[in-house]
Amino acid sequence: MIQVKNLSKQFKAPTEEKGLFGPKKKPFWAVKELNFEITKGSVASILGPNGCGKTTTLRMIAGMLTPSRGTVFVDSVDVRKDKQTVKSKIGYMTNNTSLYDRLSVIETVKFFAELNQIPSDVYMPRAEKLFDQLDMRKYLNKRIADLSTGMKQKTSIVRTLIHDPDLIVLDEPTTGVDVTGQSVIVDLIKSIKDSGKTLIFSTHQLNEVRDIADQIVVMKSGEKIFDGNNNEFQKLDTNKNFTEIFMELVNE
Amino acid sequence: MNKWQVLLVKEIKHLFRDTKTIVQTVVVPTFITPLLVGGIFWYVGSIATEETKKMYEVSVYSSSNSVLIDELNKSDRLIVSQEDSVVSVIDAVTQDNSEIGLVFDEDFEEDLKFNTSAKLTIYSKDIDTFSQAQSLVLNIVDDYEENIRTSRLELLDLDENYVNPITIDEEDLTTEEESAGSIFGAILALFFVMYVISGSMYPAIDLGAGEKERGTMETLISTNISSVDIIIGKMLSVTSSAILTATFSMLGFAIPLIVIFMFYSDSINEYLFGLLSAIVNPVALLGVFVLIVPLSVFMGAFLLAISVYAKTPKEAGLLLGNVLIVFIIPCYIPLINPGLELDFVGALIPCYNLALITNNLIAGTVDWFLYSVALISTIIYCCVAIYITYIMFDDENVIFRS
Repeated sequence: MIQVKNLSKQFKAPTEEKGLFGPKKKPFWAVKELNFEITKGSVASILGPNGCGKTTTLRMIAGMLTPSRGTVFVDSVDVRKDKQTVKSKIGYMTNNTSLYDRLSVIETVKFFAELNQIPSDVYMPRAEKLFDQLDMRKYLNKRIADLSTGMKQKTSIVRTLIHDPDLIVLDEPTTGVDVTGQSVIVDLIKSIKDSGKTLIFSTHQLNEVRDIADQIVVMKSGEKIFDGNNNEFQKLDTNKNFTEIFMELVNE
Repeated sequence: MNKWQVLLVKEIKHLFRDTKTIVQTVVVPTFITPLLVGGIFWYVGSIATEETKKMYEVSVYSSSNSVLIDELNKSDRLIVSQEDSVVSVIDAVTQDNSEIGLVFDEDFEEDLKFNTSAKLTIYSKDIDTFSQAQSLVLNIVDDYEENIRTSRLELLDLDENYVNPITIDEEDLTTEEESAGSIFGAILALFFVMYVISGSMYPAIDLGAGEKERGTMETLISTNISSVDIIIGKMLSVTSSAILTATFSMLGFAIPLIVIFMFYSDSINEYLFGLLSAIVNPVALLGVFVLIVPLSVFMGAFLLAISVYAKTPKEAGLLLGNVLIVFIIPCYIPLINPGLELDFVGALIPCYNLALITNNLIAGTVDWFLYSVALISTIIYCCVAIYITYIMFDDENVIFRS
């Protein structure tokens, strides 16, 4: 289970006022007093307009950013107290295919498996299963730089799942991906859902959320403005479709 | 393997699959630089050789027929042309029609005849450092003056010692090793520092700001690898590249010298042979190498800290470009002041200490206490630089600075 408790993050942002070394900076709250829970084995989606704090929230859940206030518990482990344990339980995929261009697919997967201290007799069968599932066999010895965006995305998926994490965090996984790539991601989310693992993803693709998510969290200006399931979301206005309800929520 | 070892293997694999790294660490120091340095020496040498055969134009203005002009005419390397005025002589030298201009004073012959001092003005351009025109002319003038002096002394029935009360006998006790040290020490140190910098600069940019820009840094820190493991893995990759570059640069210098000794020792002059043999000294090379290792780690950590702070590789390049001056200037100081001696304070200054110690190691005059001070201080700077890098990598404001 994921428990997000009073989670807040403050950054310093440049203002129009000029200082000695460039524009003066002013603190602002990117995420404010966020509270929600995600039950084990469910798929949660974080929605909201650009700059609402989705990525910051996901980074704090994944232990990459330290909360300014509040905390996150991943399977009862406090991210503020034991970041490394939390990170070992999580598979995090960023919104771009951030991989090492000069490594091959198999070297990339091997690198991330070894980084997670997984022995080869454990990670190789797991990797082979994923390669078959994602139809990647022909590309294993190709360098990342020579792959299509879709194939890079598939490699990112394998490296995210290679240590068999309990929680998978995907930050806008379909952004900048073509239709084929998007369908690969959607299939992945569905297969993760079927496997009983917990998954959190942020997205701008509302149809994905409607079809897959068990729980929807909508954010605006760093604050939570909705937390519920699909039915509860639809009940906000039965006369409107999913997108119209979302637009009304974030524009209020 | 530990996590830092996994990262190190990956970083080295990733770095050395880039042609730029291979060119920077192996090709340039091993082949290009020795060829370049050899080419410059050959070019300069060939100019100097050419000058020994060259004929020089000498413009002369004299109101009377001086014997000195006849002496100048006797030289097979001087072409003497008589001008009709002082201005013509000056013009000839200014417009590069003549290398040397000589203007004899109106009373030149009279003054010599009456045993007084005659005035001769020599016009030349001193920027042509290879030209032998002035020395050829001065030798002839000196010989002519010596003849007149001898005849004047004979006239007075005086011995030459009468006008030379002190005979100075100069004995230079500088050894070949000391000469080699003073000539090549600072230059070699400068080369090594530049190679360590060039060998670590690209990897530092690639593994710091480059990874931030490509987004792979975010992927890396999303795994459960600690900041300490990241720093060890990345810093050792940068340092390996720097040490490899320094090693190849040493080989790039040593191999051609060894080849010269083995196959061409008869054809190089004895003095130069002595200087070169002083450089190919295993103790000196090992001593320099032992000092270069912590210096490489220090620079690697320092450059990595700056690189990871930068938002983009472009910004990192700009910042690192300025930092390089901090490392290179201390190497230049002994180069432009060859008489400098290493003292305790100097031994604490990175790069400056390397330049003077390289000098002393080649000369065989190294003070091992000051050597230890330099080594220990560099190791301390290393630790400080590694700690700063750790702070940088552990600070989310730096890692996510964009």
